[in-house]
Amino acid sequence: MQHKPNEQFKSKLEKFVNDNFEDKFLRKNFLNRFNSWPSSKIESWKLSRLGKLSRKEISPLLPNESDFDKNIKFLKRSYSLVFYDGIYRESLSDKLPENIEISFFEIKELEEFLNKCGNQEILSHPTLNITASCAKNYLKIKIKKNFSLDLPLEIIQYGGDSKHSIHPLILVELEENSALNLIQLYKSSSALIAPLEIVKVGKNSNLEIVKIFDDSDYCHNLSLTIKIIEENSECKSFNLIKGGAFSRSENHVFLKGESSSVDLNGVYLSSDDQHHDLTSVIYHNVPNCRSSQKVRGVLNNNSSGVFQGKVVVEKNAQKSDAHQMSRVLLLSDKANSNSKPELEIYADDVICSHGATVGELDEDQIFYLLSRGLNKEKAQHIMIDAFLTEIIEDSINAIYLENIKNETILGFKKILET
Amino acid sequence: MSILKIKNVHLKIENKPILKGISLSVNKGEIHAVMGPNGSGKSTLSYMLAGREGYELESGEVKFENKDITSFLPNERANAGLFLAFQYPVELPGVSSVNFLREAVNSRRKYLGKEEFNHLNFVKEVRKVADEMFVKDEMLKRSVNVGFSGGEKKRFEILQMALLQPVLSILDETDSGLDIDALKIVSHGVNKYKNNDNAIILITHYQRLLDYIVPDFVHILVDGEIKRSGGPELAKYVEKNGYAGIINAA
Ligand SMILES: Nc1ncnc2c1ncn2[C@@H]1O[C@H](COP(=O)(O)OP(=O)(O)O)[C@@H](O)[C@H]1O
Ligand SMILES: [Mg+2]
Repeated sequence: MQHKPNEQFKSKLEKFVNDNFEDKFLRKNFLNRFNSWPSSKIESWKLSRLGKLSRKEISPLLPNESDFDKNIKFLKRSYSLVFYDGIYRESLSDKLPENIEISFFEIKELEEFLNKCGNQEILSHPTLNITASCAKNYLKIKIKKNFSLDLPLEIIQYGGDSKHSIHPLILVELEENSALNLIQLYKSSSALIAPLEIVKVGKNSNLEIVKIFDDSDYCHNLSLTIKIIEENSECKSFNLIKGGAFSRSENHVFLKGESSSVDLNGVYLSSDDQHHDLTSVIYHNVPNCRSSQKVRGVLNNNSSGVFQGKVVVEKNAQKSDAHQMSRVLLLSDKANSNSKPELEIYADDVICSHGATVGELDEDQIFYLLSRGLNKEKAQHIMIDAFLTEIIEDSINAIYLENIKNETILGFKKILET
Repeated sequence: MSILKIKNVHLKIENKPILKGISLSVNKGEIHAVMGPNGSGKSTLSYMLAGREGYELESGEVKFENKDITSFLPNERANAGLFLAFQYPVELPGVSSVNFLREAVNSRRKYLGKEEFNHLNFVKEVRKVADEMFVKDEMLKRSVNVGFSGGEKKRFEILQMALLQPVLSILDETDSGLDIDALKIVSHGVNKYKNNDNAIILITHYQRLLDYIVPDFVHILVDGEIKRSGGPELAKYVEKNGYAGIINAA
């Protein structure tokens, strides 16, 4: 029988789950919710269409069990956890201090987490459903109570190939009164990487996450992160999206404890036919929380960029403070950007704002720099750097600020060259 | 020795003739004042010389140190020693003033085959010159021209001139909007920089500046043409009689 491309992937998922997992019946709760890639009629996929992905003839990758000998640390001083083909490789990873615990967890815990989110919408997300059903194992990283990790923790995703999808699934849990600086690097070579990340930030804790999207140029990355933030905690997150053919970093954040805050900032640097997307939904479930989303994009050639930021302020969530701002720089008249800030506010005593701008490099500024002897390339570098630096400095406190700045500079140098 | 030779330059912007046959010859050690009413084409002339896109000449010749520079990019002209102090200096938010100055100075030094400054050495150099130009240290820490007062912006232009040591400086209304004290500071900077090997074109429409910087030649630019040239006395004449007499006489 001839399948439509969408159905073809579904049948491959089914076969993969049937063949490989003992807990297949539990996994099927997720699998059954995935029928096909969302069509462009679905609101949250209108601006980021999955037509190309649905035409890829791919199936989930059965991870290669042998390990690889590679020097793949991002920072010199850090604890690194290496994933290959979507699964954690202990032998390639650093040994962690005692107060940080690595374990596998059950599908039941994922279901409990989703119940706690209390949100129906998320249950239909393709990444949630395909990765929960296909992940080889569910890895939990727990920072124990009252502990702050002295160095950054880095998680690097490698592996995959152009015929397969890979499915890393990670839960990061910060117990009460703990702190963590986390860097996640996506450097896969897979047709599709669908990372599912669950983040629990307990009371009085502090999490700073940087995600760098730098997959192969044919890769689709459909990253989904779901976070619950408890009382008096802070989660700062910064996305640098530069690689892949299609990279979407999607975040759903539930501010469940009072006086908690979340920053979801990002930069995308796009060129050629790349499509980059920062999508987020932030739920102010309780009063007195703060959220902020700041996005900067630089687009060259035929590339396109999307920022969709939705803030939902529930009825009792008085004194919420929510801000969104997107600014985009177009370096080519064929590039195309879409910003869709959305506020859904049911409380009356809130401070909310949103805005979006799209522009080009300013001719007067470039000429001023040229007239001081700088060549055009240098002048563009300086102005793009200035455009991006503020948000990066704003988003990152940790010691790796300079590394992230350098990654960003490499990113925009690359899009200027193409 | 000739630094700049402009011959019969015509220039149109959006099909409208703006410069209509300008000739001007500047030699080493000379100060030329170009005066004229608003809209007469003074800034257009300066942009043309600096090589701004959209200000290409339609006909005529421009030679800088006996080289035809009409096909030079703005940065190539700058590195060769042509400097324009902007009438409206441009704000560069997020670009630190010190880094900006260092990039500029190093571009020129590279062109001259001199060793480039590292950050530390440059900071020392800039402190010294900034002090002479009455530019406060604190200004250098800010973004280029952002939050600068009108006078600070002009002083910052002169500081750039002093650091770059150009062969030819074109100061486009560096005096306008300055009070007397600021005017004195700027003039002090210009006079300090001036020597027998370089030259200045001072664009202004007030005679006032010429009390502090004494020009060798004065040219009156009206409606895209140099209607009259002379010595400093011409500026005094214009101050007394306005441009009307010159326009009518021509
Ligand atoms: N970029 C431009 N676009 C259109 N017209 C211009 C532009 N620049 C200058 N002009 C016109 O050229 C003429 C001369 O302007 P300008 O050189 O700025 O005069 P000045 O500096 O003597 O006041 C004016 O009529 C002005 O409107
Ligand atoms: Mg002018």
